Amino acid sequence: MANIKDIFVLIKQVPDQGAKAGINPDGTIDRAKAKRMLNPFDRYALQAALHMKKKYGGNVTAITMGPPLAVEILLEALEHGVDMCYLLTDKRLAASDTLATAYALHKVIKHAGHFDLIFCGLQTTDGDTAQVGPQIAERLNLSQATYCEDFKIEENKVIAKRVVEGGYEWIKMEPPALITVANSYHPLEYKSLRGARMVQQLLRNESEKAKYIKTINLDDISADPLKCGLKGSPTIVARTDKVSEIGGNCKIYQGAPVEKMVHELIVSTNVSEFLKT
Amino acid sequence: MNNETKTLKEIITPSNKEVIVIAEQLNNDVRPVTVELLGAGRDLANKLGGKLSCVLLGYELKSLPEKLISYGADIVYVADDPVLKNYQTLPYRRVIVDFLSGFPLPPHIVLLGSTTTGRDLAPRIAAHFETGLTADCTELDIGPYEHTSKGDPEKLGLYPGCLYAIRPSFGESLKARILGPWKNPQMASVRPGIMVPLQPDNNRKGEIKKIPVSLKPEDYKIELIEIVHEVSKSVNLSEADVIVSGGFGIGKPEGFEIMKELASCFENSAVGASRKIVDIGWVPYQHQVGQTGKTVRPKVYIACGISGAIQHRVGMSKSGLIIAINKDPDAPIFKFAHHGIVGDLYQIIPELIKEFKLNKAKEVRSLV
Repeated sequence: MANIKDIFVLIKQVPDQGAKAGINPDGTIDRAKAKRMLNPFDRYALQAALHMKKKYGGNVTAITMGPPLAVEILLEALEHGVDMCYLLTDKRLAASDTLATAYALHKVIKHAGHFDLIFCGLQTTDGDTAQVGPQIAERLNLSQATYCEDFKIEENKVIAKRVVEGGYEWIKMEPPALITVANSYHPLEYKSLRGARMVQQLLRNESEKAKYIKTINLDDISADPLKCGLKGSPTIVARTDKVSEIGGNCKIYQGAPVEKMVHELIVSTNVSEFLKT
Repeated sequence: MNNETKTLKEIITPSNKEVIVIAEQLNNDVRPVTVELLGAGRDLANKLGGKLSCVLLGYELKSLPEKLISYGADIVYVADDPVLKNYQTLPYRRVIVDFLSGFPLPPHIVLLGSTTTGRDLAPRIAAHFETGLTADCTELDIGPYEHTSKGDPEKLGLYPGCLYAIRPSFGESLKARILGPWKNPQMASVRPGIMVPLQPDNNRKGEIKKIPVSLKPEDYKIELIEIVHEVSKSVNLSEADVIVSGGFGIGKPEGFEIMKELASCFENSAVGASRKIVDIGWVPYQHQVGQTGKTVRPKVYIACGISGAIQHRVGMSKSGLIIAINKDPDAPIFKFAHHGIVGDLYQIIPELIKEFKLNKAKEVRSLV
C-alpha cells in the first residue's frame, strides 16, 4: 500500500461575486458585507484530497488563512470528511499579496507537521492569480504539478495528469509534492452524514471544536511579521479603474414578436455572407 | 518646511534596465504568446531606454533565436540541451533562476505568458527572488509612482520607471494597476492573444548568447512520462469560424443541447460556455471561453444567456460579429455586442435555427 498518507488541502473563503450584497457601486468589494463562500476552485482540491483518503487511507488536514469568520469554510470541510483544520488569523496579515500569502501559508504547513501531498485549487475567484500554490512549492522546495485533472499513486510516486494547451501530459513525481487541481476534476460530492453530525456537535461545544480547528497566529508559527501583510508584499494595487465600455453601438431588437426580431437580425447581419469574407 | 514635506524623494531601485521575455517553444517553433510578449516588451524597453532580451530554453532550437530577433529582441539567451526539450518545472526553473542570478544588477522586468507553462513557472521564479509578480495582465506600461501610504513609511517616495501591470479585477467591472517598484525584476504574466506582435524584420540585428545548463540532482524529481496532443473535433474553439456560447441564462444543463443544434447550422462551428456554467458542472471545462478558459476570435460569436462579465468578454471581444441573446436588456453584453436580441432564448434560438436552415436551403437551391 501507498505510504502517502498525510494530505493537506489549502482552501480560501472568498466573496460571493454572484450575490449583490457587499458589491460597492464602484465595483470593489466590501468584504465585511459581502456574502462569503468557499472558493469554487477549492471544491475540486477538497474532493481530490478526500479521494486520496478514500483510496489510500490517511488523514486530510485543511488549512486556511483569513479573518476569524473563515472558520465557516473549515466547518464545511469537516462536514465533507476532513480530519483536522488550521485557521491562520492575524491582523498583521492584512493586505498580503500572493508572495506574502505563500510565505505565511508555508509557515503554517511547517507548523502542521509531516505531509506527503498538498492540494490547492487552481486559483481563487477573488484573485485569479494561480500563484500561491507554486509559490508555496518554491518555499518548501517541493515537486509540483499544476492544472491536474487526474492522479494516482504507484510505488510511492505520484502520477499526475496535467491539462496543457492542446492536450495533456502525464508526469511522475516524488513526494512531498504540491498539486493544483483543474476544474475539470470531479466536482465536490455531498457532505457526509457523519461529518455533518460531528459539526453539529462541535458547534455546541467550543472546547471540542478547538480540537478539530486549531486557530493560530503569526507568533504560533514563528513567522516574520515583516514578510507578511502589507510590509511583506512586493506588489500593491496602485489604482483601479472602471472598465470603459467599448462598442456602445449594439443594434438592439426588442419588444417585437420573436419571428420578426429574428428575421430582422438575419437580414441585417447577413451571417452567411459574413462567413465568406 | 512645508514644501519639503510635500516633495517626495526620488528612489531608483537598482536595475540594468533590461526587459526579459521568457520564451515558450513547442515542436521547434515559438508559441504565439512569445512574439506577442516581444511586441509588448519592445515598447517597455524603449520607454525605459533599456534592451529587450529573450530567454529561450529547448533542444535543437536551430533558427529560433534569429526568429526572436526578427520579432524585436536585442539579445537572445539560449539554453539548448536535451533535458530542456519539453517544458518541465524544475529544470526550467533551475536554468532561469541561475541565469537571472548571474546579472550584477538585476533586470528591470521579466515577462512570461499566462499559459499553463507560464503560470507554472513564473510564481516559482518570483518566490525564489521574493519579488512581485502580477498574473494574467491585459495591458502593460511604464510610468512613475508616488508612494504616499502612511501604513508603510519606509517605502515613501517617488519611483520612476515602474512597470504598470494592468489586469481585470474583482470580477465584473474593474481593471487594477498593480505595481511593485521596490524590487527588480518586476514580473508579470500576460494573457495570450492580447498583445500585438511587431512585424517580423529579418534585417534586424541582435546578439545570441549561450547560457549554461547545470542541473542539480533534485531537479530530476519530476519525470515527464507522456505528452498527448489532442485535436478534439467537437471542441476546437480556437479554430472555429462560428461559436455558439451558453451562459447561466440557459437555466439548466440540458439547455446546452439547443446551443449544439444552433452551432450545427454552420460548418466549422463549436460550442462555448461561460465560466459560471463550467464551475457548476453543466459543461466540461474544454468549452470554457474567457479569462480562465480559451481566448477565441471566431468570425461570428453568438452569446446565449451570457451576461458579459469582463472575464468572459476578454476571451471573445475580438470576434468579428457578436450577436447576443439575453432576456435582461441591461446585461453588460449588449454594451459590446454588435447585434442583440432581448428575449427568451428558448423562443429565439429555435427561430434562429429555422431561419439559418432556410437560408442554407435557399443557397443550395440557387446553386442547382
